[in-house]
Amino acid sequence: MQSARLIQLAAGHAVENMSIDQALLEITGNTRVPTLRLYTWCEPTLSLGYFQKRGDRQTHQDSLSIDAVRRSTGGGAIVHHHELTYSLFLPIEPTSGSQRRLYSQVHKVIAAALKAFGVTAVPFRMLGQSTSDSPNDPFLCFQRRTDEDLIVSGYKILGSAQRKSRGAVLQHGSLLLRSSPWSPQLPGIGELTGHFIPVAEIADRVSKGIAKRMGWDWEPHPISTEERKHAERISESKFGSPQWYERR
Amino acid sequence: MSRDESKLLYATTHEWVDVEGEGDQRVATIGVSSFAIEQLNDLVYMDLPEVGRSVSPGEEFGEVESVKAVSPLYSPVSGEVIEVHTELPDQLEKLNEDPYDFGWIVKVKLSGEEGIDQLLDHAAYQKQCAESQ
Repeated sequence: MQSARLIQLAAGHAVENMSIDQALLEITGNTRVPTLRLYTWCEPTLSLGYFQKRGDRQTHQDSLSIDAVRRSTGGGAIVHHHELTYSLFLPIEPTSGSQRRLYSQVHKVIAAALKAFGVTAVPFRMLGQSTSDSPNDPFLCFQRRTDEDLIVSGYKILGSAQRKSRGAVLQHGSLLLRSSPWSPQLPGIGELTGHFIPVAEIADRVSKGIAKRMGWDWEPHPISTEERKHAERISESKFGSPQWYERR
Repeated sequence: MSRDESKLLYATTHEWVDVEGEGDQRVATIGVSSFAIEQLNDLVYMDLPEVGRSVSPGEEFGEVESVKAVSPLYSPVSGEVIEVHTELPDQLEKLNEDPYDFGWIVKVKLSGEEGIDQLLDHAAYQKQCAESQ
């Protein structure tokens, strides 16, 4: 078994969450230790995909009043409220190509974790419908469909996105446990199935499932003071700066 | 005239380089290899650098998004960006068909040899691609 690092479930603010993810991506490139971080958001937040235009927020009136942050990963906008966010950091070689297989690996684990709560979720590719991935896609991530997105009763409940650096890849994803008043058009697992799963319970299942699938042995390591300082520097230059948010 | 991919140089990070000119007037045209484009699959966005920017080997000069994954583009050489293919981000579907001619991304006026000696010839690059499959 390879040892890997687990950062257990905790709530963070928007800029803090994105900056810690970026810091851990850079750190994983150096340490070469696979890392899983599980978190929630202290307040409802809209995150924009890296290439999305901030002006497109106007197309989603329900979320206009909540704070927003720009992610470093691709895809559409997400209203983070009643959900679990996972971030997986894997060391890779600079020469490595696509990490697309990671989507299906992690999503299979999450589908199995949901099954333990009586929820059946299937990847979109198994529904025999065409996928979309273009600049003309809907504003919200959960209204888009790509092959590995998990679907319950026709609605997307899990979407993930990636950021590659020279030595590591970050894949983070959002599991929609319940609907939010700031995105009422998106039902969560609770509304779709009657199963209102506590976030700590699904987080525990997901971390155990990932360890088993990857052949890892978790070593719990909270975020260190030094790592937090690194994340603070990143927040000043990127996620907390107006230039970063307004770049498109 | 079409570029012959077998005559180009390649970075291990999958950028191709076509060096033309002589002396202190050498210019490197840079794009992304067909292997990488196939791997990336369905590029939807690309960010380009500004003309006049200095780059050095291994430095990020742009970014692409495909299947919700954002990946950096690395400069294989050192010098100054003198031209940018501004039409490319709006016609990314053409990259699949024509990565070595229409698919050029930037032209860099070389400031020295830095990075050039690290580049692979076509045969060595093909070997790297085969090993990473």
